[in-house]
Parts: sequence; C-alpha cells; structure tokens
Amino acid sequence: MPPLTGPKSGDALFGSVERVNAELFTLTYGAIVRQLLTDLEEVEEVNKQLDQMGYNIGTRLVDEFLAKSNVSRCVDFKETADVIAKLGFKMFLGVTATVTNWDAEGTSCSFVLEDNPLVDFVELPDTCQGLQYCNVLSGVIRGALEMVSMKTEVTWVRDMLRGDDAYEMRVKLTKQVPEEYPYKDDD
Amino acid sequence: MALAAIYSLFIINKSGGLIYYKDYGSAGRTDTNDSLRLASLWHSMHAISQQLSPTPGCEGIDLLQAHNFDLHCFQSLTGTKFFAVCETGAQNIETLLKVIYELYTDFVLKNPFYEMEMPIRCELFDLNLAQVIQKDRVTLLGR
Amino acid sequence: MAKGLRGQQPSTNTSPTRRLSSLSKGKKKGEELDYSAPPGHSPIHATRSASRRLDRGRRPPLRRRVGKMIGVGKAKQYANVLDKPLSRGRQEVSLSAFAFLFSELVQYNQTQVDNIAELERRLEDAGYAVGARVLELLCHREKGNRRETRLLGILSFIHSTVWKVLFGKVADSLEKGTEHEDEYMISEKELLVNRFISVPKDMGAFNCGAFVAGIVRGVLENAGFPAVVTAHFVPIEGQQRPRTTILIKFAEEVLQREARFG
Repeated sequence: MPPLTGPKSGDALFGSVERVNAELFTLTYGAIVRQLLTDLEEVEEVNKQLDQMGYNIGTRLVDEFLAKSNVSRCVDFKETADVIAKLGFKMFLGVTATVTNWDAEGTSCSFVLEDNPLVDFVELPDTCQGLQYCNVLSGVIRGALEMVSMKTEVTWVRDMLRGDDAYEMRVKLTKQVPEEYPYKDDD
Repeated sequence: MALAAIYSLFIINKSGGLIYYKDYGSAGRTDTNDSLRLASLWHSMHAISQQLSPTPGCEGIDLLQAHNFDLHCFQSLTGTKFFAVCETGAQNIETLLKVIYELYTDFVLKNPFYEMEMPIRCELFDLNLAQVIQKDRVTLLGR
Repeated sequence: MAKGLRGQQPSTNTSPTRRLSSLSKGKKKGEELDYSAPPGHSPIHATRSASRRLDRGRRPPLRRRVGKMIGVGKAKQYANVLDKPLSRGRQEVSLSAFAFLFSELVQYNQTQVDNIAELERRLEDAGYAVGARVLELLCHREKGNRRETRLLGILSFIHSTVWKVLFGKVADSLEKGTEHEDEYMISEKELLVNRFISVPKDMGAFNCGAFVAGIVRGVLENAGFPAVVTAHFVPIEGQQRPRTTILIKFAEEVLQREARFG
C-alpha cells in the first residue's frame, strides 16, 4: 500500500476515481426532478425537496471526499471554499468552480460554475419558471459543510436556466460550531 | 499462532455509539455489551486526550501501546472513529484503517438502506472488508 | 434529417416524448437545423412551440443558427436548449456522484410508498423517463437517425449500444427465455446501479435494478415494443453475490407483428 500522501490536484483526483457517462447522471437527475414535480405539484415545494436531497447527499458525500482527496483540516473558511471549488466539484462532477466576491469578513463568497452537468438537455417550461433546478448542488454544499462543523446558508444568485450568464451560488458561513468534547461543560 | 495482525475492529459514530464491531480472534472475550461499553469509553478517552494536550489542535489518541497489543485509531474529520486492536508492532495499520474508511464511504454511505449514525448492516461492506483483511493477512504470511 | 424518421414511427405510439426530429446534433457550427418541433428530451417536459418561446420577454430572441450564440466569458449561453450542440456523450462525472444521486432517489421513493411493490414501480417509472430520452438521444447520435424495427434488433441495441453508453460496457448476456416464446433476458453480473447497494434481508427479493428495468421498458415502449420488464436477483453457483437479470416479456401485439414480418 502506498504511504499517505498530501492532497492531490483536482485533475489527478478526477482521473483517479471511477467515472460514468455524464448523461446517465443528467438524465437520472432529470427523472428525479420530474418525479418531484408530479408528487409535490408546487414548484416551491420541489425547490425545498431538492435542497433537502442535496443536503442528505452532502452529509454522506463529504466523507468520501475527505477519504479520497487526502485533504487535511482547513485552517479557515477561505481555504475550505478553495478546496471545495478546486477539488470538490472536480472530484465528483469533473468541473471546477471559481471562488469570487468575498465579503470583507471572509465569511461569504460565491462559487461560479461555467460547466454544470446537471443541466444538459434542460429548459425550464413556462409552468416551472420558479424552479431552482440546481438546488441539489447548494444542498450538497450545505450538508457537507455542516458535517465538518460549518453551518452555512447557500443561495443561487445566477442561473443560466433563467437567462443569466453563469451559475453562481452564494455561500454564507453563519456559524462555526466548535468541536464538541464530552466532559467539558464550560464555555 | 494467530496469523491475524488485527484482533478486532470497531467503528464508532460521532456521538460515541458503536456502529460496527468485528472480532478476528481476540480469544472471544468481548460480547455485545462489552464492545458497546468499550466503544463509548474509548470515545471519551479520545476526547480527554485532546483536552490533556498542552498545545491546541490535538486530534486525540492515534496509537495506544500495551505490552501485548497496540490500539490504532483513525478519526475522520466528520468525527467517525475507526480503531483496530492489533498485535504489538503491527505495521501499516494507519493505511489499513484509511482503506476501511474508504470502504465505509463506498458500501455504507452510498447504500440507500443505511441510515446515518446507525449500526452498519451492509453485506457488501462485510464482503469487501473481509477481502481487505484477508489480503492483509496474506501480505503478512509472505513476509 | 427529421422527416424520414417520423415516417418510421409506429402509428400506435403517440407519446409526447417521441420527438426524434427535434434533436439538434450541431456537428458543425453554423449547420442549419430544424427547430420546428419542441424539445423532446428536456427532463421537465418543455413542450412549447418555438413561436411561443419567442414571445417571452426574458430571453434573447431565438437564433436560427447554432454558430451564433451569446457568449460571456467562457460560459456559453444559448437562446434555447435546441441551439446548444448535442453533446457527444464523452463528458463524464464520477461514479460516486451518480451513486449518491441514485441512493437519494431510492431513499426519497422509500418515503413515498407503503410497500416494496410500489417502490419497485416508482423506481421503474423514474427509469422509464430515462429510457425514453436515451432512445431519442442514441437513435440520433449513434444510429444516424435510424431506429430498430425488429425485435432482435432493438434487443441487441439495448444490450450493446444503450448499455455501453449508460453503463460503460456491453451487458454480460442477452438470452431468449427457454420456456416462453415472448421472454428475453439481459443479465449483468454486477449492475452499475447496485454496485454499492446491499438490500436488507427484510426487503426480500427487492432489487434496485427496477430502475434499469424501467430504462429498458422506456426504450422498448417508445420504439414501439411494449413489454413488461422486471429486475431479478439470480444466484450464481460458486459466487457470493447473485447476478441481476432484466426479464423482458413482450406484449402479444409485438410478437404478432414480428410473425407478420416473417
């Protein structure tokens, strides 16, 4: 067995994992969205459910990311955001995101995606103009970060399905939960 | 003489609950209640060790050495602990625990019938784990 | 490129998902394309006509040529989904991304059902939607706008072309049932969707391959071969894990038509 090594580059990481045709992924996601639209009827409910499903995925997926990327604990939110953008998106979706628009406190930033495998073949019909089609992605980020003690709010600010020029989600760190120690009842 | 480098393997969730236990020939000493209690105690000791640390940023006990066994512990950043009771001086257990962590992310976390933080009952995890442990034993034999 | 295909469609099928003519291949930039039909394979049924789309204020007007697009930076923006060149199907995501998504699909559907039969049916429905779109996509991209009209042809199309595109390999076997004339089986030692899944004992013979059965049914039915398709675990001697067999039972009309073709 090879010794433990430092973090891999995004490309090396994506190259090292088993991959499938993106169309299987895209069409399966489409099938999920369609099921939700049928089951829940209200677009707003579908948005919530997609976010919830993303959150569930995030809470599970984060371990795989940590196990296979060899990243160590990030020093701050800024580093975390960079790791997600450069390694996280790449490892799972084969695309990279750009981190921009940091606020002065360094607690909120934007992920900008130029390629998004979720949306191939998709156009929002008139009846679904309020649909946040990619809500699963923002949910994944929120769920994954929560598992490493960072509470966040993630919202979409740009969406190409709604005529914008890119996909942009805003990630705001609301609370960094300290490590929990049993037998520590002060602070 | 036992060929096994590993006597037993524990996985405990971030609250200290035992979610997986496998005995590989530790003289059949621990029953279910024992293993549950041990897991919970280890969880606490691990946390205490972090508090004992003279400098901040301690990640807890990685290795505990006794005169007749070594205990290797790996904790993921999400708080799940994997620990193995091994022969003294057993090599590469950190790597083995990381491989087991990867198996956990594949055959436990991607299984839609697994509920988070609950005991692991996944046939594929058992099968793949057995293979990894077996391989480890073969490597030892060849030494 | 579109007209000939329409003629091939069996008259029995009027499913809204069958709009092969609407796919824009976009092999070369600037190639003239036919936008007269609505997009058929948008996962959320975008079924408006092109002219209505023009009325919408929010979007830039419909462009008639693929080569013209409104680009900002590297991100390409298309007036509508049909302007976008059809992907060649070479893009990949990690198997994990798919596995987590599929796991979530199963978990969500578990919350929507009371029993295992219903869960199977819902997974099959989800797969059906994928199959219907895969048929359109692959007939266009891999088969030069031709679609199989004979039973063995469509079965081998599923076993080889569809399987290769979706699962990265040809299926392990395609066999004819020995007891019934109308039954065929596609078997796979390890179905991609089941790679990480252990079905709990209390769920009996339940197989998440129901999703793949749905894909197969989606392809078959939309190609004019209605059938009942189910997924089963079949133990193999000397192996710890059973294989999955997708059992296809064709509707009577299909066999009658085959017989007429001779």
